[in-house]
Amino acid sequence: MKKWTEVFLDGISLENPLTVLLIGLCSALAVSSKFEGSFFMGIAVIFVTLMSNVIISAIRNFIPHEVRIPIFIVVIASFVTIVDLTMKAFLPDVYGFLGVWIPLIVVNCMVLGRAEAFAYHNGVWLSIADALGMGVGYTVVIVLLAATRELIGSGKLEFLGATLIAFPEWYRGPNIVLLFPGAFILFGFIIAGTYAINRRLRARAATAAVRTERGASL
Amino acid sequence: MAKKSASPLQMVFSVTVVCAVSAAGLAGTYALTKDRIVAQEQQAQNEALGSVLPEAESFELREDLADAATEAAGETPVMGVYEALDGSGALVGWGVRTAPRGYGGPIQMVVGLDRDGLVTGVKVISMNETPGLGTQIVDLPWFLEQFVGVDSQNAAEEVRELDAITGATKSSRGARHGVEAACAVHAGVLEGEGAGQ
Repeated sequence: MKKWTEVFLDGISLENPLTVLLIGLCSALAVSSKFEGSFFMGIAVIFVTLMSNVIISAIRNFIPHEVRIPIFIVVIASFVTIVDLTMKAFLPDVYGFLGVWIPLIVVNCMVLGRAEAFAYHNGVWLSIADALGMGVGYTVVIVLLAATRELIGSGKLEFLGATLIAFPEWYRGPNIVLLFPGAFILFGFIIAGTYAINRRLRARAATAAVRTERGASL
Repeated sequence: MAKKSASPLQMVFSVTVVCAVSAAGLAGTYALTKDRIVAQEQQAQNEALGSVLPEAESFELREDLADAATEAAGETPVMGVYEALDGSGALVGWGVRTAPRGYGGPIQMVVGLDRDGLVTGVKVISMNETPGLGTQIVDLPWFLEQFVGVDSQNAAEEVRELDAITGATKSSRGARHGVEAACAVHAGVLEGEGAGQ
């Protein structure tokens, strides 16, 4: 059971797909100009990663090694299309914003990467932990980035038509934050932040390991 | 763990099975969501048409004019030409749906024109413009309102007089191209149609 939470937490912190593994960045930087859109993008990515990890780890013994990539892609593409159709039907406004980025989850290397690196070698239960950890890790970063960009850039934060936070009327945000250069700069700060947190986490894990070792030898 | 080497037959078989199951799943999802997607798109379009031609009660797609309209509009794609009819079924104007290129992809918009070819309104259905910059073409109401009253006979010149938005040059230009295309469709195709009624 400990292993499960470990795998899950690794996806969020020590192996965060966006800030540590640096995969799936293209969609993250493009979509993160709007808080609402990023939130649903995160949900979509969590769903696709979870479903593809579950299916692939469940049938991994029946997948011939030589054709595993095409099979992964077919499985991933199917779930992406399901998300695509469902979102178009039930959340048309959000779909209008995310547009092409939803179908492009198919080629998000985070999803394929987890299938190849984790689900293909592990059981269903652990693959669920991996998918949820990675998906939540992706979502946390993208939502954080989007909230910062939208708030600084346009002066207010909106979610499903409701304004969550708004700066006073006279506030004029720097437009660069909403454009790609701003995304890159802010993302750099987020990476730096995660790096600092992860270093602490590692240090704490190391001292804990030393302590248990000492305790065992006493 | 997967077997180290599989025979070609096994490979073909496993890929085929996976594809078949996926296809079934997708067909099911498609069947479940199809009606809602069509309804959502229809609703968004009708709302947009209604807002640019408030006098009209109903709109009818004129598929027979599609080819001529596409030709008249030039490079800007025209998705449909709609007859706007009032309660008694008389023609009150035209709605033209176009998708000019903005900064972040096509801007889906409808342009309303009255029988004389004056623009009655412009409405954006969906777009992928940069939030805070390109989206100002919708957020700043004066921008689209300034197209109202443009005469389709003389559209290119009249539109040139109008203002663009600072920081949203490409998005402004996209909206302008959309209006120009709708005007070109009216001048080239709909003018004659309207006179016939």
